[in-house]
Amino acid sequence: MESLVYVALFAPLVGSLFAALFGMSPKNLITGIATSALLFISWVASVLLLIHVVGNGAVSTTLMDWIGAGDLLIQFGFQVDAVTAVMMVVVTTVSTVVHVYSIGYMDHDKGFNRFFSYLSAFVFSMLVLVMSDNFAGLFIGWEGVGVCSWLLIGFWYHKEDVSTDINPSISPSWAANEAFIMNRIADLGMLIGIFLIYWNTGSLTYDTFFASIPTMDAQLLVAIAVALFIGAMGKSAQFPLHTWLADAMEGPTPVSALIHAATMVTAGVYLVIRANPLYSHEAVEGVSLFIAYLGTFVAMFAATMALVNRDLKRIIAYSTLSQLGYMFAAAGLGAYWVALFHLAAHAFFKALLFLGAGNVMHAMHDELDIFKMGGLSKVMKWTYIYMGLASLALAGIFPLAGFYSKDTILEVAINEDTYLIWFALWVTAGLTAFYSFRQVFLTFSGNERYKELGHRPHEMPNYVLIAMAPLAILAVIFGFVFMDSFQAFTSTVLPAYEMSHATHEIAWVFIILTTLIALSGIFYAYKKYGAGLIRDEKVESSFVYKLLSNQYYIPKFYDSMFTKPYREISDMLWKRVDLKIVDAIVDAIAKFIYFSGDKSRAMQTGNLSHYLNWMAAGVLLVAVIVSLSAVLG
Amino acid sequence: MDHILTILVFFPAFAGLLGFVVDKGSARAYGIAVATIELFIALWLWMSFDGSNGGMQFVEMLPLVPDFGISYYLGVDGISLFIVIMAALMTLVGMISMSIEKDVKNMIISLLFLEMTMVGVFVALDAIVFYLFWELSLVPMLYIIGAWGGPRRVYAAVKFFLYTFLGSLIMLVGMLFLAYLYHDVTGTWSFAITDWYALVLPMEYQVWLFIAFFMGFAIKVPMFPFHTWLPYAHGQAPTIGSVILAAVLLKMGTYGFVRFSLPIFPDASVMMITPIAILSLIMVVYTAMVAYAQKDIKQVIAYSSVSHMGIIMLGVFAMNAEGISGSIFLMLSHGIVSGALFMLVGVIYDRLHTKELDNFGGLAAVMPKYATIFGIMLMASVGLPLTIGFVGEFLVLLGFYKVSPMMTIVAGLTIIIGAIYMLSIYKRTFFGPITHDENKKLKDLNSKEIVSLVPLVMIVIWLGIYPKPVLEPIDNSVKALVSFMEKKAQTQEAKDIIVSTNAGEDK
Repeated sequence: MESLVYVALFAPLVGSLFAALFGMSPKNLITGIATSALLFISWVASVLLLIHVVGNGAVSTTLMDWIGAGDLLIQFGFQVDAVTAVMMVVVTTVSTVVHVYSIGYMDHDKGFNRFFSYLSAFVFSMLVLVMSDNFAGLFIGWEGVGVCSWLLIGFWYHKEDVSTDINPSISPSWAANEAFIMNRIADLGMLIGIFLIYWNTGSLTYDTFFASIPTMDAQLLVAIAVALFIGAMGKSAQFPLHTWLADAMEGPTPVSALIHAATMVTAGVYLVIRANPLYSHEAVEGVSLFIAYLGTFVAMFAATMALVNRDLKRIIAYSTLSQLGYMFAAAGLGAYWVALFHLAAHAFFKALLFLGAGNVMHAMHDELDIFKMGGLSKVMKWTYIYMGLASLALAGIFPLAGFYSKDTILEVAINEDTYLIWFALWVTAGLTAFYSFRQVFLTFSGNERYKELGHRPHEMPNYVLIAMAPLAILAVIFGFVFMDSFQAFTSTVLPAYEMSHATHEIAWVFIILTTLIALSGIFYAYKKYGAGLIRDEKVESSFVYKLLSNQYYIPKFYDSMFTKPYREISDMLWKRVDLKIVDAIVDAIAKFIYFSGDKSRAMQTGNLSHYLNWMAAGVLLVAVIVSLSAVLG
Repeated sequence: MDHILTILVFFPAFAGLLGFVVDKGSARAYGIAVATIELFIALWLWMSFDGSNGGMQFVEMLPLVPDFGISYYLGVDGISLFIVIMAALMTLVGMISMSIEKDVKNMIISLLFLEMTMVGVFVALDAIVFYLFWELSLVPMLYIIGAWGGPRRVYAAVKFFLYTFLGSLIMLVGMLFLAYLYHDVTGTWSFAITDWYALVLPMEYQVWLFIAFFMGFAIKVPMFPFHTWLPYAHGQAPTIGSVILAAVLLKMGTYGFVRFSLPIFPDASVMMITPIAILSLIMVVYTAMVAYAQKDIKQVIAYSSVSHMGIIMLGVFAMNAEGISGSIFLMLSHGIVSGALFMLVGVIYDRLHTKELDNFGGLAAVMPKYATIFGIMLMASVGLPLTIGFVGEFLVLLGFYKVSPMMTIVAGLTIIIGAIYMLSIYKRTFFGPITHDENKKLKDLNSKEIVSLVPLVMIVIWLGIYPKPVLEPIDNSVKALVSFMEKKAQTQEAKDIIVSTNAGEDK
């Protein structure tokens, strides 16, 4: 079984290195095919491992030593238990689809080979992240996906910086840097968590740490829980570190599908799920509850921004943010398997949604404004079906995947008596349905506004559409086929979360309530946009609309509160402090020595009577000093 | 091999002397040949080195002035071994990449002399021998900056020389006083560092001596507020000068703290943790911000060096094996990465004759190989895991966390602000459209540059993934050092701090 672990882990790396060999040469189809094939191998290995884990329990293996100093020993150790196996299958499934899809999507791009090299490197890092059996290994993957994300957001690095009114992101390279730096802020928290774990347990492996949790004191556990969660907030773009995710949409769409929807951004959720012995400890109850409330807040906050956005990809990005909030809400309330289940379901339907958006962009020559689309269902039937399905799943309509996963989260909120969370998530479910179908209708139905712009949209080639099919199927069946087995399987690692009897009794009421609000969201979207775009000047000039379309002015606030002052302070430190104070003092001392030497040279006249004068003055001075010190001393 | 260290020290200088008769046209090839042989001797030293032994090996001892206990006394341990190898490597790589046409022969000879002094400093076990090599290293560097530098080279060279010379004079006074104290206690004179280790000093002497040595080392490092000579030196030095300066010469300062200050003045060192840590934190944060404000790419790298040296200083004063080992490892990794970065800056300077960031932009499109290698070095510089930069930085921060969590959080800002200035220069250099027409025709790396940079890339990745062959011998020597300090410390307070910083929960 160890060999399967390594096959699953290293196949993407081999693919990445292979594609990198062609990195600077013109497009070569082989890079796309080879990386996709290797990912498929990795997927097969992951599925076999999953089956193995179901039957025989976790597999673990150690590759070699990494860092050893003092009492610290970090090894490259990997373990595949139920949680990891699920993550691996989700990651490799979506990645394989995205790779094949990208062969079509990146067809005309001159960075074709480079793209596949980065994309496979990302998958490798993501697998390291989920497969490591220790926090240092997790951190390798954590930073690795960060770099790949940087490379891929900034993939079209040659684009110029253009400032826009609403979106602060001025170019792909700007967005890439923003994402990297913002993640690094969170990574510092994560590092502190790692240090705390090391100095209190002497090791960084999950097992040692989890085993010593019962003996650790409460304050320490809270500190570790907070530090690790700060790390999770960066990767999963939770408020206030959320702005990078929407800007990351500057990257190619397959990247958004894979990294910024299905996998990397869920790493924070994975961390909380993985560290469930910590977060479910009674001493850190407060932190967990905070996670749940923050998640709920982000779910609603992000959904409101999606309501008015006109950018096809940004709407989906906010929706991702919102769904991550749902996952954190579930994890914070202790329903880890529910969070993981929503993570998996979301990965499938959200990747599908993004890839569909990619089809639309491809057809519309990279036009992103949904106000300029409309009526595309006639020319892009399959894309319409896919995006429609994905949106239904996202809206949580029975019997699609999102219905099961999201509904369970709402049930958990009821079960925990956190009615505020339930209410907020319930409202958000309505918002979600509305913005999803606002997007679908504005894109696919109504008047064909794109014609005025001279676009001639066309559907993607068939193999691309077929490649998307697995995601579509999973988005449909994942809930009702897999939910029960998923719960049973993950309960080998995660605490079993059981609804109370009372919750069971009344669950149907809430299911109906949720379905009702989702349906009314869809209906409202249909009423407003089903027939085409009717712009309402009054609404668009209202305060709330402006607030939302400017993302609550948070990016602008960050820009004026952090980015600009940082530059100004840096400039001031250099020009005023370093040059004018620190260095000037050094030069002044040197000048003084030079000056005094220069002036005292006047004493060396060679004239004996001058020397006598100086000597007399000196003697006098010494006499004065001596007598003074005698008197005073 | 009884005299491998002597050979290692004097072979380059000897070859340098012979270099005067070598034909001008082949001086460069000659220099590269000599540096290659030197590197192989250094690698051979590593092969014959017993990594599990934390003590001094290949010791050579020859009394020079027996009346004053001055002797020709050399040896290496895990702490110095790899710095020596790194010095030999960077000299070779720097020579290969060198693009200087003017007076090549003089340059080669200066570099070979410089190599002698660098190796000498790190293997000397006698304070006077150490001091001689330490001061001698200034001369070739003064010449390199003064003869091949930019428009303000004389100012920069003199500033570099006088500033560091002043510091070392104070250190020399400290050394003489220490020898005098040794004589006072034992009745015999000795300048052997290992003899000084055995000397138990009263606290007040320790503090004054610590300060005297501190002046010499701190200016060399350079620590805030003594760092202002460095930007000028880098700004004016030719590429090869900057490479050697950043990669090796700065390490003399931090090495000095490990070799002298910690074991000879353990109590004073413990007492000085806080003040030194504060200066280090200022180095880390302040110079990283100053780096961000720079308009000249070379100045960014220069200031970033100071910032990283701050992390190294912090590791030295973590007082635990994790921190000190990490700090030695970071010296190596910073040597390789900053050396490579200066070489990379040299690449673009050779082509455009400017270092102003505003003149770049969009270079990734025309120079993809250059952009790739720069990108890898950038990631190593910001401490990405699986590159060489992570290992040392992680260990230092981990180690210092035990001393002070609050200070470590401040020092940890380095992973954020380091990324800010590095990503910012990368974007301004490589991303966006090409705004200057003359940049559209730039040539990518030539074979000379590739030959010199690719080995560094390989080391960056190799030691990032598998640091053990280097880290283990370092760690063994550091553990010996730490337990020695623990035994030697006299005040209970110092003892307690050394013990507690080293203790994990499970012991």
